[in-house]
Amino acid sequence: MRNKTTRAVISIGLAAFFVGCGTVLNNTGESQPETSAPVQSMSGSPNGDSVHSIVLPHDEPLFPPGAGRDEFVTACVVCHSPRYITMQPQFPRSTWLSEVNKMKDVYGAHISDEQAQRITDYLVSINGKADSGQAPKGTYGE
Amino acid sequence: MIFLTDRPPQLETPIHYFRQDLTPNEAFFVRWHLEGIPTSVDLRTFRLNVSGHVRQPLQLSVDDLRSQFEPISIIAVNQCSGNSRSFFEPRVPGGQWKDGAVGNAKWTGVSVKSILDRAQVKSGAMDVSFNGLDAPPLASVADFVKALSIDHARDGEVMIAYAMNDQALPMVNGFPLRLVVPGWYGTYWVKALSDITVLPQAFSNFWTDKAYRIPKGPNGTESPKDLAKETVPINRFNVRSIFVRPDPDETLHPGMPTEMEGIAFDSGYGIRRVEVSTDAGATWADARLDTELGKYSWRRWRASWTPKQRGEYRLMARATNSVGETQSKAQWNRSGFMWNVIQQVDVTVK
Repeated sequence: MRNKTTRAVISIGLAAFFVGCGTVLNNTGESQPETSAPVQSMSGSPNGDSVHSIVLPHDEPLFPPGAGRDEFVTACVVCHSPRYITMQPQFPRSTWLSEVNKMKDVYGAHISDEQAQRITDYLVSINGKADSGQAPKGTYGE
Repeated sequence: MIFLTDRPPQLETPIHYFRQDLTPNEAFFVRWHLEGIPTSVDLRTFRLNVSGHVRQPLQLSVDDLRSQFEPISIIAVNQCSGNSRSFFEPRVPGGQWKDGAVGNAKWTGVSVKSILDRAQVKSGAMDVSFNGLDAPPLASVADFVKALSIDHARDGEVMIAYAMNDQALPMVNGFPLRLVVPGWYGTYWVKALSDITVLPQAFSNFWTDKAYRIPKGPNGTESPKDLAKETVPINRFNVRSIFVRPDPDETLHPGMPTEMEGIAFDSGYGIRRVEVSTDAGATWADARLDTELGKYSWRRWRASWTPKQRGEYRLMARATNSVGETQSKAQWNRSGFMWNVIQQVDVTVK
């Protein structure tokens, strides 16, 4: 299964693909979606075709309705896939608030303090857990 | 590939690829920071610009690099700063990698030193910054630029690769040029490298002043309850090893010889010893080391084991390099960087 996916893409070898088929078991035995890497045209030598292009398909999950969803979709998804949310473990509210404030204060996301609170509420509702008191705050460059 | 995110892309290499010494290009991990990643490059117009504190600014095409400079090749591990982040407890936000944000490849290109010599660096140069074609989605997001000290950049090993495993780099791995910083974390390996700037002062930007920093203490470790006051930019790899077999889901039987295998690497001192344990660390035995492929390559290790009885076994591997650096027993930092805790693989013999 794992080898087959990659081989298939190499043999096509023309454009970029994310193929969401199959699963792979990792070291901890958890199941993960497996996808083929995007690959570029490998026609000829690197000195061959002058223009090298790929297409990066998007594969973005749908998000459930809830308070704050509109702000989340408007303010967050403009810069990154919502998969940046769904790949995280469940974090307490303080961690999600720290992440949202980082986006606002450090990266300049166009949201008010009030919107940041509502977005945080939404993130906690879809991928949150109770505060433990010792929640790690987010940092940069992850 | 294990699919973490699509925009910008983060793709993780499944562990079974590490049964090969060189990680195939199409399976090499991918990690970008900014939404605007290059998806098309025209080699007729692409130029590598060398400017700043130099006498002779340069604009070099990829053909210029191939034809006018002596090619060098190096086999080197590239590892994401956050590889294995998902194993930190308490969990930290960020790319939730397991062990696959790492790969080993043969990089071919030209040394940064030869480029800088051509550009004739003026006296008093301090840092060299490296920028790629990727662009921020908002004006308020800092462009992703990294820097090395002038001495590091000119050490003859830091290089600009135009080939990866003897092929053009995949676009998602930095086509047409990628900075290769042997022994240092992937954050410095700027992809789609387009601008080199020599600076007469220390480089400063968000991605080095605020991001990609580690606690100043040993092995970048701190306590969640007492965060380090002082931090420094992340730099060279610590020592680690990763099992590639057996798989946790592999069925083992009593009396059946089992080959254990893995990879080990460090920042270039060289792996000198790998020990394995099949009893959760109570006893250790030396693994056999394959031939070294280069000091920046990973080194394969192997050990034979015949489990005598049915039951649960915890396998562990511990690498040590030639200057005595070894792996952690426990580790945490707020960013989830530099994981090198001795790996535990639980298997069942039945």
